[in-house]
Amino acid sequence: MKKVSRRTFLKWGVAAGAVAVAAPYVMMNKNNMFTSTLTEMAGAPALFDVLVIGSGGSGMRAALEAGRQKDLKVALMTKLVPTRSATCMAQGGINGALRHADARDSIEKHAFDTVKGSDYLGDQDAIRFFAEKAPEALRELDYYGVAFDRMQDGRMAQRNLGGHTYARSAYSADQSGLVILHTLFEQCLKNNVNMLMEWQLLELVVEDGKLCGVVAMNMHSGKILPVMARTVVVATGGYGRLYWVRTTNPFSSTGDGIGACLKVGIPVKDPEMVQFHPTGLAGSGVLLSEAARGEGGYLVNKDGERFMRRYAPDKMELGPRDLVSQAIETEIREGRGVGEGLHAAVYLDLRHLGKKKIMQKLPQLRQLALNYEGVDAITQPIPIRGTCHYSMGGIDVVDYKTCATAIPGVFAVGECSCLSVHGANRLGGNSLAEVVVFGKYAGNGAAAYARNNAFDGNQTALDRAADEWEQRFAAVSSRSSGSTVPSIRDRMAATMWQNVGIFRSRTRLEQAVRNIDELLEEYRSCVVRDTTRIYNTAFMNYVELGNMLPLARMVAMAALARQESRGSHFREDYPRRNDQKFLQHTIVTRKGAEYSLTYRPVAITDYQAEERKY
Amino acid sequence: MPTMTFTIRRFVEAKSFSRDYSFEYMAGNTVLDGLIFIKEKLDPSLAFTASCRNGVCGACALRVNGQAVLACETAIESLAARYHSARLTIAPLGNFTVLRDLVVDWQPKLDRMKQVKPWLIPQDAFSADTGCRQSQTDFDKIRGYTDCILCGACVSECSKLAADSADFLEPFAFVKAQKYVADSRDDAPLKHLDPAIQAGLWRCMHCEECTAKCPKSLDPAEDIAKLRVMAFKKAMVNSAGAQHAQAFYEDINDIGRLNEAKLAIRTDGIMKSLTRVGLAYRLMKVDKLDPFHLPEPIKNISKVQKILKAAKEADKS
Ligand SMILES: Cc1cc2nc3c(=O)[nH]c(=O)nc-3n(C[C@H](O)[C@H](O)[C@H](O)COP(=O)(O)OP(=O)(O)OC[C@H]3O[C@@H](n4cnc5c(N)ncnc54)[C@H](O)[C@@H]3O)c2cc1C
Ligand code: SF4
Ligand code: SF4
Ligand code: FES
Repeated sequence: MKKVSRRTFLKWGVAAGAVAVAAPYVMMNKNNMFTSTLTEMAGAPALFDVLVIGSGGSGMRAALEAGRQKDLKVALMTKLVPTRSATCMAQGGINGALRHADARDSIEKHAFDTVKGSDYLGDQDAIRFFAEKAPEALRELDYYGVAFDRMQDGRMAQRNLGGHTYARSAYSADQSGLVILHTLFEQCLKNNVNMLMEWQLLELVVEDGKLCGVVAMNMHSGKILPVMARTVVVATGGYGRLYWVRTTNPFSSTGDGIGACLKVGIPVKDPEMVQFHPTGLAGSGVLLSEAARGEGGYLVNKDGERFMRRYAPDKMELGPRDLVSQAIETEIREGRGVGEGLHAAVYLDLRHLGKKKIMQKLPQLRQLALNYEGVDAITQPIPIRGTCHYSMGGIDVVDYKTCATAIPGVFAVGECSCLSVHGANRLGGNSLAEVVVFGKYAGNGAAAYARNNAFDGNQTALDRAADEWEQRFAAVSSRSSGSTVPSIRDRMAATMWQNVGIFRSRTRLEQAVRNIDELLEEYRSCVVRDTTRIYNTAFMNYVELGNMLPLARMVAMAALARQESRGSHFREDYPRRNDQKFLQHTIVTRKGAEYSLTYRPVAITDYQAEERKY
Repeated sequence: MPTMTFTIRRFVEAKSFSRDYSFEYMAGNTVLDGLIFIKEKLDPSLAFTASCRNGVCGACALRVNGQAVLACETAIESLAARYHSARLTIAPLGNFTVLRDLVVDWQPKLDRMKQVKPWLIPQDAFSADTGCRQSQTDFDKIRGYTDCILCGACVSECSKLAADSADFLEPFAFVKAQKYVADSRDDAPLKHLDPAIQAGLWRCMHCEECTAKCPKSLDPAEDIAKLRVMAFKKAMVNSAGAQHAQAFYEDINDIGRLNEAKLAIRTDGIMKSLTRVGLAYRLMKVDKLDPFHLPEPIKNISKVQKILKAAKEADKS
């Protein structure tokens, strides 16, 4: 008899086993939570009590909170598979004054650090609430199963992140966001939260100030559908992709929810407040963590000079993020960088650290440079440049305890919103905390609203909006001449980076506004070149660009109006902070092609603005 | 700059076809960069998904020359070198339903995963107000499992799913089950383990394709083995699989090698073995199974028995 390999033998066993043991097998899909065809099958559109848009940490937390209330009809709509959100990319940690690592910490100190970090543009009442609720939000995550690193006594460990007086960031190795997002997803599964996954929000529909619902495209079928909702919680993430290749954000961070809110008259708050990180890979904007400089990496220009000695002679490479980002830009601008256009760069040089140290302390960083630049940090310097990292601005929330916006029934939470907790500058670890703290309150706020208010949206208006999208799809997808979506997008990103980036000035910003207005015009006749319905990502990208362009216009416009430098917003022509005039939130409203700008005072409760020194 | 040709398996609204796309690439360009170039410059109708573009979101898994990879983490240069070729075949993940081109349907997969209760069932001592307690040692036991990004690479070449997916879950589902079986905060390992057994724990074929393909260095095959050990420990020896393993043990103990003909009978009992006669007949026809061959004990059987005994002792202590 021939020898039979173990693998082959077992294959037979299983094949035979399949025959023998098919009977006792449990039924699958008994409780199907993915109601992709839900509104299509029912004939008439479904009415949701709470419809959450976006499945990052904030959306999942909100859906969980509302979804637990079994008498309510709740759904979570998201344009990708739920776990693909930006939240999974967060590495550092999530803040809360738990006082595990340092008993000197307190709610007050977390609040104060956040206020100071925000360069005093944060609303102090919201920040206070945030700091107060953060510890309980963390304990709750622990109870949900987030695998946090531990202290000796078994409680969550905490580490120190930049701008915080004490170690208050709970973490899970260097993948805190991934672990939190997946745990929240598991909780959603547990609680049978309905998921409309791979549905792209196209539009919020509001008629006579009353919410009717949303129009969305089911990517699986390609159908454009009206979805009625008593409340909508917008949780669609940030707008880092305005800078396209020069951002750490995922492809999905295109500000869709903000675009949808703008269209129905909900304003955007502080859109000019965009945070930049100094070390993004030159080609892709992928984040290289601060550890690279922390471990002693050098920043050098094309002549091999450690240029930080001209900008921060004491701290050198360890200067604050904004200063380092500005120094890198100056080098490139003055011709001491390498490469061209959006991919120009300086070098992060780790070679002197030696192979052993690089492999021990920075293995992931080396891998990133290998993967995305084809550069081995042990033998070559890594081309890097500043990269857009976080959107402080967002949908204007008027009540931080419920995350309500100006339109009844519409709520906003997470990076797409502006409460404002981060003001002009977000501190590390505060975003994940914001997402879970306010996710819960947004979910509750929406649920309470849905309970107390009958649906009085106009179904005809909703259907009409869906029809209009239908026509738009037909017209745009079949158009054969015009600029392509990527070409317009790349020019938008270039003007944003060059004129609304790390350095800003009147002339540059005016140039940006002009450029974007032209691009907005060009967009009206651009081409998609894909007429099919099922999973048409070309059309999806077209919709995303349609959300980004007006937003880009607003960022430039608000930056132009803010004639001061504060937090992440640096004006070369106004290098000082001006509390007299600008201790105020920018509020931008859009009506068709008209944009108007006003200001609203910052909520100051405990701390008077003072100079921010570290 | 070198040129690469992607032969992409397309599937658009029920039409299947292949198309070639050629482009120039440089060091540091990934498969995802190639796809993006194709979509933006050559053919906007090509569909694929990607989000983080640095290996954490799991959106971009697909097959290159039949092997599952993350498109965003795989350099074109290294593939060209590995396959000595300037042409690569790009296809969607295997063992998934294709929605369009390189996009596969995750809905049924995530629904199925629910069977193993992939969530913490916390002990009574913990609460949402107080959080949990866990030693760093116990935390270290679960930390590897949290690396899973639900990319589906482990599913693509799974031999068991390819043979029959009706009675077997995706490898990552077993990782999830094991994650909570191993979590010291969890109150009820059996609540994850029992459904894992129901969902095919003993039907895995040990081909280890899942482990070989996981881009995040998880080891689903090993986790399946761990769950099986757990099943034994919990004395759930009634299932077919556990009996199969017991039969393995007895054979090794008695004769030092497997008696394949006897194995089926011992595992499932005479009645069930009869249902396998068809298979046995087919195996005999291709000369794979000799029913008249009753193996002799091997020469050093006493040594084998000693080893087994020692292992048993070690397990007890
Ligand atoms: C590289 C990186 C590292 C970071 N590190 C940290 C850190 O260490 N600590 C910290 O606190 N913060 C960190 N942040 C920031 C933090 O991760 C994010 O701010 C936060 O996760 C945002 O969560 P969110 O729920 O608001 O949105 P996201 O996680 O961005 O989710 C948005 C969701 O909306 C969906 N969506 C978007 N548009 C639509 C549409 N049209 N229709 C339907 N769905 C849509 C998306 O698919 C997605 O599911 C980091 C961010 C990045 C990029
Ligand atoms: S070892 Fe088991 S689970 Fe893994 S691929 Fe093979 S059959 Fe599938
Ligand atoms: S186990 Fe590995 S291959 Fe499978 S889904 Fe998780 S990360 Fe992907
Ligand atoms: S794009 Fe996120 S893993 Fe590849």
